[in-house]
Amino acid sequence: MSHLLDRLNFLSSKELDRFSDGHGQTTRENRDWEDTYRNRWRHDKIVRSTHGVNCTGSCSWKIYVKSGIVTWETQQTDYPRTRPDLPNHEPRGCARGASYSWYLYSANRVKNPLIRGRLLKVWRRMRETMSPIAAWTAIQNDPVLRNGYVETRGKGGFVRASWDEATEITAAANAYTAKTYGPDRVFGFSPIPAMSMISYAAGSRYLSLLGGVCMSFYDWYCDLPPASPMTWGEQTDVPESADWYNAGYLLLWGSNVPQTRTPDAHFYTEARYRGTKSAVICPDYSEAAKFGDVWLNAKQGTDAALAMAFGHVILREFHLDRQSEYFTDYCRKYSDFPMLVRIEEKDGQLVPGRFLRADDLTGKLGEKNNPEWKTVAWDRTSGGLVSPNGAIGYRWGEAGKWNLETRAAEADTDLSMSFVLEEDHDDVVGIDFPYFGADATETFSTGDKRPNILTKNVPVKKIKIGRKTEMVATVFDLFCANYGLDRGLGGDWVATKYSDDVPGTPTWAEKITGVSADKIAHVARDFALNAEKTNGKSMIIIGAAMNHWYHMDMNYRGVINMLVMCGCVGQSGGGWAHYVGQEKLRPQTGWLPLAFALDWGRPPRHMNSTSAWYAHTDQWRYETLTAGEILSPTAPEGDWDVSMIDYNIRAERMGWLPSAPQLKTNPLEVAKAAKAAGKEIPAYVAEQLKSGELEMSCEDPDAPENWPRNLFVWRSNLLGSSGKGHEYFLKHLLGTDHGVMGKDLGEEGGQLPKEAKWHSDAPRGKLDLLVTIDFRMSTTAVYSDIVLPTASWYEKNDLNTSDMHPFIHPLQAAVDPAYESKSDWEIFKAIARKFQEVAPEILGKETDIVALPILHDTPGELAQDQVKDWKKGECDLIPGKTAPNYIPVERDYPALYDRFVALGPLMDKLGNGGKGISWKTDHEVQHLRDLNGVWEDGPAKGCAKIVTDIDATEVVLMLAPETNGEVAVKAWEALSAITGREHAHLALPKEDEKIRFRDIAAQPRKIISSPTWSGLESEKVCYNAGYTNVHELIPWRTLTGRQQLYQDHLWMRAFGEGFMSYRPPVDLKTITKDVQDAGDSLVLNFITPHQKWGIHSTYSDNLLMLTLNRGGPVVWLSEVDAKSVGIVDNDWIELYNVNGALTARAVVSQRIKEGTTFMYHAQEKIVNTPGSEKTGNRGGIHNSVTRAVLKPTHMIGGYAQQSYGFNYYGTVGSNRDEFVVVRKMKNVDWLDEEATGKEA
Amino acid sequence: MDRTLKALSLILSYPTRELQQAMPEIGGVLAADTRLTAAARRALRPLVEELSGRDIYDLEEQFVMLFDRSRTLSLNLFEHVHGESRDRGGAMVSLLETYRDGGFEPVTSELPDHLPVLLEFLATRSHSEAQETLADAAHIFEALSARLARRESPYAAVFAALLQLSGAKADKEAVAELLDQPEVDPNDLEALDAVWEESEVRFGPDPNAGCPQVRDMLTRMDQPINPDPRVAAE
Repeated sequence: MSHLLDRLNFLSSKELDRFSDGHGQTTRENRDWEDTYRNRWRHDKIVRSTHGVNCTGSCSWKIYVKSGIVTWETQQTDYPRTRPDLPNHEPRGCARGASYSWYLYSANRVKNPLIRGRLLKVWRRMRETMSPIAAWTAIQNDPVLRNGYVETRGKGGFVRASWDEATEITAAANAYTAKTYGPDRVFGFSPIPAMSMISYAAGSRYLSLLGGVCMSFYDWYCDLPPASPMTWGEQTDVPESADWYNAGYLLLWGSNVPQTRTPDAHFYTEARYRGTKSAVICPDYSEAAKFGDVWLNAKQGTDAALAMAFGHVILREFHLDRQSEYFTDYCRKYSDFPMLVRIEEKDGQLVPGRFLRADDLTGKLGEKNNPEWKTVAWDRTSGGLVSPNGAIGYRWGEAGKWNLETRAAEADTDLSMSFVLEEDHDDVVGIDFPYFGADATETFSTGDKRPNILTKNVPVKKIKIGRKTEMVATVFDLFCANYGLDRGLGGDWVATKYSDDVPGTPTWAEKITGVSADKIAHVARDFALNAEKTNGKSMIIIGAAMNHWYHMDMNYRGVINMLVMCGCVGQSGGGWAHYVGQEKLRPQTGWLPLAFALDWGRPPRHMNSTSAWYAHTDQWRYETLTAGEILSPTAPEGDWDVSMIDYNIRAERMGWLPSAPQLKTNPLEVAKAAKAAGKEIPAYVAEQLKSGELEMSCEDPDAPENWPRNLFVWRSNLLGSSGKGHEYFLKHLLGTDHGVMGKDLGEEGGQLPKEAKWHSDAPRGKLDLLVTIDFRMSTTAVYSDIVLPTASWYEKNDLNTSDMHPFIHPLQAAVDPAYESKSDWEIFKAIARKFQEVAPEILGKETDIVALPILHDTPGELAQDQVKDWKKGECDLIPGKTAPNYIPVERDYPALYDRFVALGPLMDKLGNGGKGISWKTDHEVQHLRDLNGVWEDGPAKGCAKIVTDIDATEVVLMLAPETNGEVAVKAWEALSAITGREHAHLALPKEDEKIRFRDIAAQPRKIISSPTWSGLESEKVCYNAGYTNVHELIPWRTLTGRQQLYQDHLWMRAFGEGFMSYRPPVDLKTITKDVQDAGDSLVLNFITPHQKWGIHSTYSDNLLMLTLNRGGPVVWLSEVDAKSVGIVDNDWIELYNVNGALTARAVVSQRIKEGTTFMYHAQEKIVNTPGSEKTGNRGGIHNSVTRAVLKPTHMIGGYAQQSYGFNYYGTVGSNRDEFVVVRKMKNVDWLDEEATGKEA
Repeated sequence: MDRTLKALSLILSYPTRELQQAMPEIGGVLAADTRLTAAARRALRPLVEELSGRDIYDLEEQFVMLFDRSRTLSLNLFEHVHGESRDRGGAMVSLLETYRDGGFEPVTSELPDHLPVLLEFLATRSHSEAQETLADAAHIFEALSARLARRESPYAAVFAALLQLSGAKADKEAVAELLDQPEVDPNDLEALDAVWEESEVRFGPDPNAGCPQVRDMLTRMDQPINPDPRVAAE
């Protein structure tokens, strides 16, 4: 508009008012044009929220809202200030996160509840005459009706439904399943609660009240490094990113900080400005590589060899030839180096055995309480054996000696780390160590022909055990022998020089890794020298890449060993930074009761997903890896020749790992039978299991009684990004079209499992109902029967924390959920309400029996110091000791909703706690009644309300020590009782601080220090893992109470992992003659790192991301490999092996190492994926060519730190040892006709 | 009320049994409006018949597949104008204000730019205002009509009719731009390959063989905005 028509050009009105002495004038001209400027940046409000993706960034954002519509967003800049000298946290937030608000209104959103048309049609027909339960029963009992929708999964055919209908089908299916098979046939999968705690808790609370199974994610994603619980008894604890700035040396190992940790990368840059040295280790020239002073391009999968060589150099230069005072002092106090190991004899050879325990000695060193769990060392002060404070035996059943004071039996000690001096040892003997370097498959082979046992000389002391004289050695002496260091004791397989080609030396590692021995020695020396000068300020930032190999423990333990040798763990600016997939849920102990309904019934049903999916998607039927291939040549006698699923069954039977389902018989029926027999439930179940009347479900996963029947997936794209063995999921769990090309063991004529029952026909379509709750049509949603539209991150109230920074901040509903969507909290409330409505037809108040494995951080973790299987008659079945515990839990199905929205009475009655300490919490519960209101009547009469999502956040904040100073003080005092040391000073200054939801809405708040975590939040130091262990002398939660570098469990020794060593990737045999077509010559190692153009692993399918990338799935290849088979950049290529096939564009690049191919993970097949020539179906996703393979050492349980914990220990889904055939596609077929014919 | 616009709003809504029952009446309105050419009215007939006669579940599955699941057919107009750019929120706010200025408050869970919502609003406005607004979206109608025709969907006729009602000729360039956009529909993937194919990147001494973006930039830099002073002086 020109406004010419409104403006006077030639005249001036005389009637205008003047004011302010003529400086102001009233005009009557049209001033509409000003609105353009006024409105341009106008908004009604700014709301604080964040992107609750499974990205550990946890960045606070300002969301601008106008007329109820989100208009734009900017980064928040109000994080509380850090200390002088330390850079601020802000700005946090990356371009990928910023693209999210555009997704809010994207056409990709799920707008209404969707149901498979065929299912809804029969449902409505049945419902005309039947109740919901009867309708679902009728559909399940008619194979034609059931197959009608099961077989069309993944082939379109959705129609819209009302919330009422969608929740009714879901509730009816859950009730039917609980009644017919047992509540433990209802599974739920959701990952990473820290990103949106209440959304996670909504589903898990519903499942827990029902008796359903909450599935783990951290282990399944293979982001859990089992090396961490093995060494520290801690799931994962890491420094915040600000602490990188305090480091003097930063080693980036398989981590691509600028690409995947964008909001934190500035600390890395700032540390470089400060003068911090940095080395980067990764096979490709990654974005991080340019930050390094040196780039070590080690061959993929050989990191352990590199770590071993680093360790060799550190030992040689800082522990042997010259002894760094700081390192020696640190290792003596904080590692198991001084602990004694019994040397055992096997076939006339000597091998390292179990730790010497007080119990082994006559008189037990005066220890009456748990002497079999107290390790022993040699004390130079008294000149004899002592049981130093802090071993796990001191943790339970007594008080005051579970600490790391240098004391034993009330006296000061000076522990001996080595017997190398002539006067200290009684003998020098040859001890066998397994060597796996010669096992490498073609790709990794160096032509190594060394024997698989290396005998090395070690100094020993001789002591009396019983009537026998036995040899013991210190962990340190064995450790040095393992690293191949010559200590003047003679013998083979040890080196004096780095140029010796002996396992452990830089020269040996050069052959395996391709990194020159000089560089290895140089980096190791710099790393250690810095740590020595700064008291441990050398840090290793480690990426998931290292953990995704089958032998990930070797990689990780190699790294951890370096850090412990150099005294870096627990020191600010030092230590181990593994920022993968965990996203620390800081107010954990406040959240657990809400999430798992511990306020109404304990324990919840937790399951380790890797074992569950391995069994229920029938991946075990195709197992190609035998125990013999990974067993140590030094393994003790035993029945080791069984398959991986057999090991898992044994672990479940001995109470090591959880089970789901648990018993073949419905637990509700078992409880009734126990009652009828007039017996206590644990005793009844034990008796029935022994007699064989009851069977554990794990022994026959393919029997229809043992199938998972209902599955909820929320906040996750299980089938699109994390489903290792994707095609097996499709074939067996879902029962639809799939791309599995291999044959199972039955068809192959392979060795069948001994413990797992084999059915010659594998089941197809185990699930009755798959419900996905998401805000977009993900791959999982496409395969579901019901898709429920959920609120996205600016449409709900929730909590968010991370391991990258110490703040807690909210997600907030800036606008109402778009279309018909609801928040997860409201969705599960709706399902619970519907369940309460329909279930009473068949379910009332019931007694359920929950099988509970032996848990870490409970007195039960001292259950099995020897491995004994009750089924083989090696011991009696004692629930909770030699087998799972069987615990009755009361369910009130007709009051499920009433319980969902109320904080139950057990918090008052039993209190709260975590990680082995507990405290009363009645005071906080009363605060919650006052804050949230009280139910006046009904089954939850007198309980605090938890109606809205904000009510739920208040429960978490009130109960957690991290957000309630009063609780923190109580928690530290509870710990003091066990350690005998005063800790409350860590929280006393914050005793009166209580963080509420409205506080964090105003500004992110720093959390309060609590004993749940091993670092401190203070004005003096950055958060760093292990800090309180080192500075408060709180033991690590391991057998020895120290950082444990030697693992003495029978299975650890059997599989050759007592000590760390280099183990080449395993041979999964997925490229068989049958599957490989003639002429396809290029075989590459398949690697799946995190991508640049995606919101972490959550999504990559918005137009911006696709445009910045190549608009669809891509796979990276090296120039040399591509050339060898005539592939040029942007060609359509196909990757396949027996597990399946995928199609993608080739990106040909110099940055990729020959022999590997990269497919960034979580690129979905809903976008631009043509058909595979190999399978005839639409090309798969990155997981189409993978299959999960279990490792027995991850199943160990009932043994101190190697005891089960949810997302803490258990089998992990590794996938990097996989190989694929890569070929150019001849025809690109988009398969663009309709997938299914219309219903007849 | 403009019953033709209202009718078009209805037949672009999610099919229900109620809609099926009302189809004879709706079909009647459409058949009678002489603003539409005879050919356009004839073209609408198959959709009218399908909506009144076909199994409701088939209709619903088809609707979800076309309009809920395929972003290139989204009934949210701004998907085609602003896509996922940050301007979208602001544009929706202005549209919302237009409804409010017109004396209406949206009472739906759909967003303001949902086409049936807009059509219902326009049905209450003067003919000229409706025509003006529709004309602004003419290129979208043309593109959606083309895409649906390619799928042999009878819904194509609705967009052809809207184009006629707008009285405008769609801007050819704008239509081409829209049709140029990559199709990510599960049922129409033929053109995809060509759409997102990039030219190969090569690094080397020959600038003409370089990255295409850089090459274009260099070409633009080669053309002086101001004439070379030396040339001008001559």
